[in-house]
Amino acid sequence: MQISLEMRDTPLDDTDELREIFRDHTLTGIFQTATWQYHRYCINCKLSGSVYAASEIEGAVPIIHGPSGCAFHQRLTPMRLYAPVYKLPCTNLDENDVIYGGESKLRDKVLEVYRRYKPSLILLLPTCVSGLIGDDISGISQDLKAQLPCSIIPIASEGFAHRSRESLDGLMQESAKSWKTSRAPDYEIRGCGQEEVMVSLVEQLMEEQDVVDKQVNIESFGRFRYGSQVDLREIKRIFNEIGIGINTTLLNCTVDDIKRAPAAELNIITRNRKAGKLMNTKFGTGYFRKWASHYGLDGIEKFFVEVGSKLGLEGEAEEIIQREKRQAMEELERYRKTFSKFEFAVSAQGFFFTPYIASIYARDLRLPLKYFCVSTQLLRSMNTSEKTIKMMIDNMQDVFDDWDFGFETVVNPSLDEMAEMAKGVDYLLSDRITPLIYGNRMMDVSAVSHLLFRTSFSGIVEFSRYLARNLHNGISEPSGDLILSKFHYDQLNYPIIEDPRCSASREMWSDMWSLGSAGGD
Amino acid sequence: MDGGKFFGAFRASSGITDAVVLNHVPVGCNWGAGMFKSFSNQSDIRNACTVMHEREIVFGGEESLREALIRADRLYDAPLILVVAGDVPCIIGDDIEAVIGSVSLKKDVIWMEAAGFRGSMRSGYEDALINLVPVMEQCDQAANSVNFIGFCPDDFKVEADLREIKRLMMDSGVAVNSVISNCSYEELKMAPAAELNVVIGQGTELAKQMKDKFGIPYIEVGYPYGLRGSRDLIDAVSDHMGLGRDLDREIDLQPFEKIYLYLNDIYGTPTSVVGDFHAKSMAEFLCRELGFEIEVLSTLDDDYNFEEEVKNSNSAILFGTSFEQDLAKEMRIPLVRFSYPIFDQVWIYDDAPYAGLRGAVCLTETILNTVMGFEDKLSDLELRA
Repeated sequence: MQISLEMRDTPLDDTDELREIFRDHTLTGIFQTATWQYHRYCINCKLSGSVYAASEIEGAVPIIHGPSGCAFHQRLTPMRLYAPVYKLPCTNLDENDVIYGGESKLRDKVLEVYRRYKPSLILLLPTCVSGLIGDDISGISQDLKAQLPCSIIPIASEGFAHRSRESLDGLMQESAKSWKTSRAPDYEIRGCGQEEVMVSLVEQLMEEQDVVDKQVNIESFGRFRYGSQVDLREIKRIFNEIGIGINTTLLNCTVDDIKRAPAAELNIITRNRKAGKLMNTKFGTGYFRKWASHYGLDGIEKFFVEVGSKLGLEGEAEEIIQREKRQAMEELERYRKTFSKFEFAVSAQGFFFTPYIASIYARDLRLPLKYFCVSTQLLRSMNTSEKTIKMMIDNMQDVFDDWDFGFETVVNPSLDEMAEMAKGVDYLLSDRITPLIYGNRMMDVSAVSHLLFRTSFSGIVEFSRYLARNLHNGISEPSGDLILSKFHYDQLNYPIIEDPRCSASREMWSDMWSLGSAGGD
Repeated sequence: MDGGKFFGAFRASSGITDAVVLNHVPVGCNWGAGMFKSFSNQSDIRNACTVMHEREIVFGGEESLREALIRADRLYDAPLILVVAGDVPCIIGDDIEAVIGSVSLKKDVIWMEAAGFRGSMRSGYEDALINLVPVMEQCDQAANSVNFIGFCPDDFKVEADLREIKRLMMDSGVAVNSVISNCSYEELKMAPAAELNVVIGQGTELAKQMKDKFGIPYIEVGYPYGLRGSRDLIDAVSDHMGLGRDLDREIDLQPFEKIYLYLNDIYGTPTSVVGDFHAKSMAEFLCRELGFEIEVLSTLDDDYNFEEEVKNSNSAILFGTSFEQDLAKEMRIPLVRFSYPIFDQVWIYDDAPYAGLRGAVCLTETILNTVMGFEDKLSDLELRA
């Protein structure tokens, strides 16, 4: 909602960049493990995805149409536990409203919110209760639009209409197939609240515009995240050099920006394909899906060249990106020499990006890799089926074979196996898939590994600089005195602590999610 | 903003520390209530849900509940399952009692209806406690023993406060029998052994029912913040039991002497206080013992919008929940967190209470440190220069 963070326009120097990463990792990342751990016991409400999406839009105010308890806890949306949505108006439905309807309360609340905040956009977010009692939220928004000089849009955010386990399973399977083709999966699943906001904005807010050549929209959630902003700034810089202008960044923008989104020639989308397709149908805006295959030196090049090609700027894109890539390669070459003196093992979470991360380590950084460790814990925590997990691992291994990586892939290593592997190499770069191994040369890269997920060469260079510096200076090994190392962890679900209550709750969730989601899409 | 009846019922239920809380709700309600509780203890996860989806909306959630009960009975090493039914099953009309009756379970099961739209967090708490009365057993009374009623396991500093309160009681010759709701199932069942129920802030309905059913009298006292608040608690209990203890003689002013000049300087500070029932007692401590001027006091019992009043006041410090950070930031004043929900501070040291005599010292220390370390004060001065 109305919070706007100033983006730094001046480039950061190297020290600033790393300091900002660690600052962000410390100050906002403090909740990250807790959030992910809690995802292993349940998932958040669809409503929270909608609240989060709404909070990205400058000048928008979401109204929760439901009991106060929904707004009470949705202020703490899991995507940004470090920055609650403090002002979240609610209609506070009570039993009377459940019997007689809550429409008048909704009307009153919309008028009150407008008087108080004068927003450009009010998003009406129904809850389970208002969804069940059948309030005509669309009708009310139509009525009030005529009375108020702001846009009013209902969003389908009823909590019981969440996605199902089967749909996630299908998405994972399609992702695994995409590793072999390098084509982004085109698998539609029901949104988790964010997509519903995007689709509704396309349907109800965006306006027909004269299309401006060579202008793009970039889907970019992350107003409150440092990493997203830096990535966006780099993409903009390179686009600018190619001759591509940014029409807007959805939804990290103003309400007017959203209205004018159809002025772009092309949408660059990541997760919200439905909205991209809908804009294509409604306004003729082309779309391009940015996917995991657009990471790494070749992936980044491919991204800019493909986008340039879509806009008739293929030549310009190639020229600029070759120059950028050459510069990056020159810088990387220095670090590769350092890396070549050591032998490494790497551990990574098994998910959409894993093959591409392996590629960055092996091809771009030219790390002498002996072992590449993959964990399927996260997949299991999302109740991905064993069949799908097996397919993902098989496809990943096929890709590694095709790409002729010489390392050994180790799936779900135990703590002892990790320790043994670490002994067999000079350094184990760990993304924390197991408890910290002490007494070995383990380097925790979890704070900086997201640099490898940027759509610019600078992230890879920055990561390499960090790694080379640590190798040069030496690292302090995790010590046996670490308090963190004194706990016993669940072997299958790190970092869940070994506790029968936690294990039972984890199993309950797994069982009930499988059972309860059968009716989903 | 009130958390609603479901949150209150969940908090009361999860205070039975060895029970499983089975929420008969869609995923989001379980996430919210559980996530907020997990801020107090990340390794105490005992809640699960029936994952009500569209299918349950159409066909009813009874089958999901049945399956969940069977699984919870098998998976958890716990004596009790507490089923808390939220908004959705109450609207679609699941026959929860019939489902519970239809399955053979090893564990005891207690259920309650807790639709968020049917009441406040406080009412959910009260109703949940009343639901626990049937498991309480008539037992021999332990002389000079009390139950404390009104606590939740995710209250800020609850363990530290209880330790201090128990210490004060023990020094007065009073044993604490059960703390409701922050006790085991066995302790809950044995609650009628107490000679007196001491209600702090909430849980009066439970105390009334225990009086009717077991003949246990009850008293209502404020939360024992400060030296005076501590004395009030001890006096109330001692008077009732005829024990007689002059707490004033035991008060150690030495810690306060070390910072008496600061106390002199913060005297008269205009302050606003917001929170659950703790707020009133906090305001009394600040006013009576530190000499603060209470500008706005809100206990969140209704939809009262205190924000504008606070903004229009001279408040120089705000006492509240984590959700008041934004207001404090806007007003460029420090926030002292003391009331649920608190999700941006941790409270893991059980010897640093806010309640009781020791709590008065810790609380004063926190207030002074918050004021003196407030990062915005110098930038504010720079702006004015």
